Parts: sequence; C-alpha cells; structure tokens
Amino acid sequence: MSGNPGSFQDWFRQDRLPHIYCTGCGNGTVINCTLKAVDSMGWTPEDTVFISGIGCSSRAPGYIVTDSLHTTHGRAIPFATGVKLSRPDLHVVVFTGDGDLAAIGGNHFIHACRRNIDLTVVCMNNYIYGMTGGQGSPCTPLGSVSTTTPYGCSEPPFDLSELAVAAGANHVARWTSYHVRELTRAVQDGLETPGFSLIEAVVQCPTGYGRKNKLREAQAMVDWMRDHAVLIKKWRRMEEEGTPLPPDRFPVGEFVRRSRPAMGVPK
Amino acid sequence: MKLIIDETRCKGCNLCTLVCPYSIFQEGTTPNRRGVVVPVLDRPERCTNCRLQKLYGRVLCGVCQMICPDQAIRWVDEKPYEPQKVVIEY
Repeated sequence: MSGNPGSFQDWFRQDRLPHIYCTGCGNGTVINCTLKAVDSMGWTPEDTVFISGIGCSSRAPGYIVTDSLHTTHGRAIPFATGVKLSRPDLHVVVFTGDGDLAAIGGNHFIHACRRNIDLTVVCMNNYIYGMTGGQGSPCTPLGSVSTTTPYGCSEPPFDLSELAVAAGANHVARWTSYHVRELTRAVQDGLETPGFSLIEAVVQCPTGYGRKNKLREAQAMVDWMRDHAVLIKKWRRMEEEGTPLPPDRFPVGEFVRRSRPAMGVPK
Repeated sequence: MKLIIDETRCKGCNLCTLVCPYSIFQEGTTPNRRGVVVPVLDRPERCTNCRLQKLYGRVLCGVCQMICPDQAIRWVDEKPYEPQKVVIEY
C-alpha cells in the first residue's frame, strides 16, 4: 500500500471532500502529513482510530475512513486513554488544537504526559480559537491582536512542547505546516515510539489570526513561519553561548526522545 | 503520468506556487465557475513525477501534493503514446 504514489489519499473519505476549512488553512496540510505517516507505517484503517475534541482541527477525523470519535471540548485525550486501555491492540492518534489541548484540556494533557500512555497527539497550533471567531488562546503570542485582545495580547503564551517535555512525554517534536517532509518524519517517529508523543504543528490561520496581524494572505503567513522557525540545535547553541533569544522566533525540531516506562503498550 | 489540479477542490490559496522547485504552478488570473482563481500549470511535463515516477516507483518530490490543504493536486496515468498514420489527400 505504501509503495504506490499518493496512496495516503486512499485514507480520505472522498465523498466528504472538499472540507470546510477556509482558503489557505494549514489543517489540511497536517492531515496530509499525518495520513502519509500512518500509511507508511503499514497500518490498515481497521486497526487505527482517530480521536478529536472540538475545534477546527478536530473536524479532521470526519474526513478519514477509519473509525473515529469526535468528543467533547478538551476531552479528546481521556477518551483516547479509554480506547487505548480497553483495546491496546489499536493504534490511537489524537487530533487536537491549541485551545482544545492547552486551555480546556490542559490538565488532561499534563497527566497523559505523566502517565505516558501510548498515544500520538498531533496538535495543530494556530495561536487562536479559529472556529469561534478568533478569540485569544493560551498560545497567542505576546502583542498579537485577536478578537479578545484588541490592544495586543499582554499575557505570555504557553510553550506546549516544553510543557510536554517537562511533564514527561516520550517523544516531543515541533514543526510548521511549511516543513511537510520533516513533519511527516516527526509524526512517523511519534507513531513508532511507544509511550506518549506530542507533535506540535504550527499552522497558519489567515482568516482568524492573520487578518488581524498583517498576514492576510496564506502565503504571507507561511513565509512568516518559514522565516521565524529556528532549528532546535541552533536554538540550544544560542542558549549556551548566551546570545539573546529573539522573542518572535520559535525553535523547531525534535525536542526529546526517551524511553520512560509507558502505559497501554501491547505485550 | 500527468500532473493535474482538481478544480472542484481547489480553493485558490496558491501555496503550491510557493513550494514548487520548478515553478510549475503559476498564480491564475481568471476565476472559474465557482469564483475560485485556480493556479495554472506552466509546462507541467517538467515535473519529475510526470517523467520519472514510473522509473523509481514512488513519489519523488511531491511537496505540492503534501502542502495542498485541499487535496487537489495529484498525478494521473496517461495512455501510452500511440503513433498515428498521417493520410495525405491529394
């Protein structure tokens, strides 16, 4: 299945496409990358489950042919935990957004990292609540304008990847929707790693976020992500040298890969 | 193989024009029936997948297909080239 070109397209429900995402939304790219990784793992739709909460990103499992759960806001990881513990033979992938994972589901997220359950969480971080009209989320960068922060966000944002590393996840990586090859590779590493793995994909939201922050076009936002992403090696070297870290940039790459004892791995 | 853009799915975000190493995708100018300005293909036979995919048996670059948020880009099989006999009428 993985040999023939573009075979990850078989995982889409062709009758449900085109999807409801706005023009230039990066969520579709992240679905492509995740499905390509799942496809290259050689898994079948019968033994894979996609689970999501509420939000733009959480519409994703509705476009995939496998069994899926579209659950309550922020509670995707508890539902996924239940699926994984009752059927450890299934492969469970969670699609979630930054408002879903960090705001209302923040505590579930931290404790899933602590328990190190065998899940792969793909977080599409678009910096705002996209579906409800662009309200500020815990990941909105300092100074960004959103519907609820009209004079610029004055609260420091969450760094989801560092949070997952500190809470004890086995594999943590961050890429953007511009870095499609690297993102696919990172998702595949996450699927291969036993234990909790978080892949944070920074995606563009030209409608909700870019429109208010002088990045109206999807291309402008992708350019912004490409220019402001710094490889984690360089970021760590800058930290060691004591070079001041630019506040508008963010590190991308594999943050950690370790083998803490995991829960829910089939014996 | 032939590179095609599915006009029923494309929403005109032009992300493919940003990533193609051969600049095959160019921004379109005229809106189609749904009011979407679909990118136009500039000599798509230059794409490595169109020429060499059969030889290597896998997708070679494929970044446009991966980055397309609307799953609108793909390659389709073409019929093999058949030589035609030209009849000249006097």
